[in-house]
Amino acid sequence: MTRTPATSSQPTTYELLQRHGVSRRSFLEFCASAAAVMGLDYSEVERVVQALETKPRIPVLWLHGLECTCCSESFLRSSHPIAQDLILNMISLDYDETLQAAAGDQAEQIRRDMIANHPGEYVVAVEGNVPTKDGGVYCTIAGETFQHILEETAEHARFVIAWGSCATNGCVQAAKPNPTGAVPIHKIIKNKPIVKVPGCPPIAEVMTGVLTHVLTFDRLPELDRIGRPKAFYGQRLHDKCYRRSFFDAGQFVEHWDDEGAKKGWCLYKMGCRGPTTYNSCSTVMWNGGVSWPIGSGHGCIGCSEENFWDNGPFYSRTADVPVPGINSTPEKIGMVAAAAAAAGAAAHLGTLMIKRARGSKAAEGDGSAASAGDEGGQA
Amino acid sequence: MTEISSGAPQSRQPGAADVGQPLFERVYVWELPVRIFHWVNAASIVVLFATGLYIAFPYLGPSGEPYDQFVMGYVRLVHFATAFVFTVNFLARIYWFFAGNRFARSGIPWIILPSWWRSLFRDIKEYALHRYQHPHLGHGALSGLTYTLIAIGLGWAQIFTGFGLYGETNPGGFWDTWFGWVLPLLGGSMQTHTWHHLFAWGFVAFIIVHVYIVLLDDTIYRNGLVSSIVSGIKLRRVRRIRARKGRLEVEGEPVREHHRSVGSRNAADVHVSEDDEAAS
Ligand code: SF4
Ligand code: SF4
Repeated sequence: MTRTPATSSQPTTYELLQRHGVSRRSFLEFCASAAAVMGLDYSEVERVVQALETKPRIPVLWLHGLECTCCSESFLRSSHPIAQDLILNMISLDYDETLQAAAGDQAEQIRRDMIANHPGEYVVAVEGNVPTKDGGVYCTIAGETFQHILEETAEHARFVIAWGSCATNGCVQAAKPNPTGAVPIHKIIKNKPIVKVPGCPPIAEVMTGVLTHVLTFDRLPELDRIGRPKAFYGQRLHDKCYRRSFFDAGQFVEHWDDEGAKKGWCLYKMGCRGPTTYNSCSTVMWNGGVSWPIGSGHGCIGCSEENFWDNGPFYSRTADVPVPGINSTPEKIGMVAAAAAAAGAAAHLGTLMIKRARGSKAAEGDGSAASAGDEGGQA
Repeated sequence: MTEISSGAPQSRQPGAADVGQPLFERVYVWELPVRIFHWVNAASIVVLFATGLYIAFPYLGPSGEPYDQFVMGYVRLVHFATAFVFTVNFLARIYWFFAGNRFARSGIPWIILPSWWRSLFRDIKEYALHRYQHPHLGHGALSGLTYTLIAIGLGWAQIFTGFGLYGETNPGGFWDTWFGWVLPLLGGSMQTHTWHHLFAWGFVAFIIVHVYIVLLDDTIYRNGLVSSIVSGIKLRRVRRIRARKGRLEVEGEPVREHHRSVGSRNAADVHVSEDDEAAS
């Protein structure tokens, strides 16, 4: 994907940072940490620096659909001291319902102008998903349905970023029974590249990492099979979890206050979703690397995974299977099926024996009771 | 070599008591590869289920330092290693489907043939009403359908979900590349685990029914079904002994349709002498 400078009159990220009084040293620090988060070689830090120094910022239209704004909250809490400033400056947020100064008609006009004046240049970042039921009335902005806004805005976008689990896989709004018919954005936008950044919310460094990558290399980061950046979603938490040695040893927390819990054993039996969850929590961690859920003694709930609300309960490793009317794990269903098979076999044998008993009574008179084998014909 | 066994022990000449008793022909049905497949399959399913249960519900809790222990690690190792045995065995059986004798292919559901449907309904009726009249040398329509849908279907399902999950341990590696697509298809890793568990229990239900039906058929038809999966030989009734004009005779013509049978193929091999005097 190539990109022509969209708004070359615009200042670069570094210029803006300078205006905000950010020192050269802090700037370089950020570039280095951003490069590290992206998984780049140290020698490539130079490219990040250069990109932020020379390239005009990426114009971003940040749309909010059906969501809770936790992605924005996470994004704004990016860990590096100057990150907040930098992030907001790294991309030019031309439209963001939560952060923009403009309101009402003005705000909507900015969005329309961007679509009209810079087609193919801006990026659409979507937070939240799209309710489709009843004509999409469950999320309307400025009198228009979100579905319409999204389709209209994404039409001329360079690419689309799906922030968070809502936009990526539906999250809580799309959990059963999904009353508003909420769908993740890839169900609506079919003709644009979509970068999926799942998580509820995604880790701030992951979000900045994705943007820095785009800015530095002028192309989307390498994506996995379902469109997530490999650098951040390539592995399960479990594969980098510091409690993994306890898992392999077979040492598990059984109760929240037991000896194992105190010793920091593996949380697998407490329902930890680390073995089925692709995210960067066990490496990048949260709140600037302060800690992360498993580090704080609680299992992962799999917030970046598809259907994670429906894969509950969170405190059991085996998910409920939606059998109508009852909550069952695969094991309960399996045992019932096995018991049914055994009962079926027993019932079959029972009826056979009853039939035999009757038959032999009837046949006693003529003394020519046929044995079972004799009843058999040819193959 | 005794090719024919009757209801009477082989060590004596048949007498009047044998009149009306069936004569059995020994037919080599399950070739060695089929028998090996069966038992390797059975053993690996047992191992896979047991280790799978531990992986889902680890109950051993070793104490001490984790560097001294590798319980879950070993159990997973056994599970994965057995999974490869299961798969290779499964594929070998597919090869033998083509390479083996006709019994290796028996039971394919020919759903386009009306005659297959007739056999199926006949089999269902026989089992439902306890009117057992058609023992099969290979697999009948009903058993063939069951094996195809349940045993083979579950086998494939476990192979695909299993290797999909196995690929998670090495993203971008061989197994992830070739089987990783299964996960998004089923709605993610967790859902794939759920399906893997459900399919595993499917084997348990299958085995219960399988063992019951095998014992039932063996008892009803006396066709040596149980021992056939060790020896390969099934018994097939060809004729009866009957008394005629004071002599014992073998009734009916021998059946010759099965190749590779080790049983007698013509009346000359029958060890029951038709000239024997009836005891009466
Ligand atoms: S705590 Fe969770 S992620 Fe960590 S090793 Fe245990 S199961 Fe895996
Ligand atoms: S540990 Fe799990 S639930 Fe928690 S933020 Fe990370 S992926 Fe989400």
